[in-house]
Amino acid sequence: MIKIAPNELKIIAQYIHDVSGIFLDQNKAYLFETRLSSIAEANSCTSYQELHNKAKRDASKKIEKAIVDAISTNETLFFRDKGPFELLQHKILPEVIDNRSGRPGLKPKIRIWSAASSTGQELYSIAIVLKTLLGDTNAYSLSLLGTDISDTAITQASYGKYNKFEIERGLDRKYLQKYFTLFGNSWKIKDEIRAMVNFKKLNLMQPFTVLGKFDIIFCRNVAIYFTLEDRKKLFNKLAASLENDGYLIIGSTESLTGVCPLFIPKRHLRSIFYQKK
Amino acid sequence: MKILSILVVDDDPVIRRLLEHRLKTEHYAVQVAEDGYAAENLLRTQFFDVVLTDLMMPGDIGGIEVLEIAKEINDKTEVILITAHSSVDTAVKAMQKGANDYLEKPLNFDELFLRLDKIANIQTILKNAQDLEHAMTTTESAASATIQSLEIQVANLRDSLDTVENILRNDELVDGDRVADALNVIAES
Repeated sequence: MIKIAPNELKIIAQYIHDVSGIFLDQNKAYLFETRLSSIAEANSCTSYQELHNKAKRDASKKIEKAIVDAISTNETLFFRDKGPFELLQHKILPEVIDNRSGRPGLKPKIRIWSAASSTGQELYSIAIVLKTLLGDTNAYSLSLLGTDISDTAITQASYGKYNKFEIERGLDRKYLQKYFTLFGNSWKIKDEIRAMVNFKKLNLMQPFTVLGKFDIIFCRNVAIYFTLEDRKKLFNKLAASLENDGYLIIGSTESLTGVCPLFIPKRHLRSIFYQKK
Repeated sequence: MKILSILVVDDDPVIRRLLEHRLKTEHYAVQVAEDGYAAENLLRTQFFDVVLTDLMMPGDIGGIEVLEIAKEINDKTEVILITAHSSVDTAVKAMQKGANDYLEKPLNFDELFLRLDKIANIQTILKNAQDLEHAMTTTESAASATIQSLEIQVANLRDSLDTVENILRNDELVDGDRVADALNVIAES
């Protein structure tokens, strides 16, 4: 493993922040070394300074992508924390459907965004909840978007194939049999669910007004990797991307106190969601 | 590192005894079965980390069948097949059916011990990952209960402060009433 020098820590940490928004503690040299050493070696670099130079000169952005993939945490599972999905099924979706069903002849339009979708488990869980609740989804105009900074995660999410370790974490047997097909040693999401969702690459540090407005935004366990300043910017932008009566769900151990005064927390049973003031 | 429990299945008594002896010397927990039927009986009564089975055995239960039975009973059991050089194709097919690995005859014990070490390592890592996941879930649910309740409390206090501010700024009330009303709101918060 290539050792990182103190002056390189600063350069690489700044570079990672610039391309991903992710803040890495410069006191944790091992974090940089364990995640980046093999990329440096694969690109015949003998130092991280050299890797940085190569990454910046590389027009194909291949090295940058590899670095973002290595640095970003893809920890996710189906129905992570359970609470938010019960909240979605029993409180939020019925209210959104109610609010959007005003006009006769028009399909109620519901837009949901999983802002850090990783390898797709969160958005597929949302789609499964929708399918379970609505039955015939054709009666609605649904748009389910998943975005993530990692190209590899987006590719895997779009493919919708999971190995047995990924499947065993969080997914109920009844959903597995209903919405997945066994494919060799892995499980693939069925087309009826796959067709409900879209994935694309997005860096949350960049502007995203182009995505339009959403009724429900899941932005869970991603801001924890950002500085307080970047977190403030992110949630202000999310407020602008949320309909006035929309719903925001953040990670179960995250807080918006001192981060974004535009949102107020509301409790439903054992979960919390946020709405604009 | 974990001590693996191993079931040796071979119809040749010499190889069976040799394997048993060598594995026990290396401190593995070993049991033996002289054919597929005996192996099935043992697999149904206790869990083995690894089944080391000969591919070709007399009777209806050969190595492939032992593999299938072991995986069906518990897919966490790893199966290593012992094959003659001529049956490598069959061994590859067995790997597609979930076998962990195969070893060719004559057996190289160093190679066998390396494979077993690898399995023990992976099982240790998997166990660590599961322990970490359990610890994370426990920490997370405790932390989220605290954080969410604080989040609501802060929002309620903010609300009370706004009400107090409105009361204090209300020119239509005399000073004494304003203070009394404000104190009431504070007392209730």
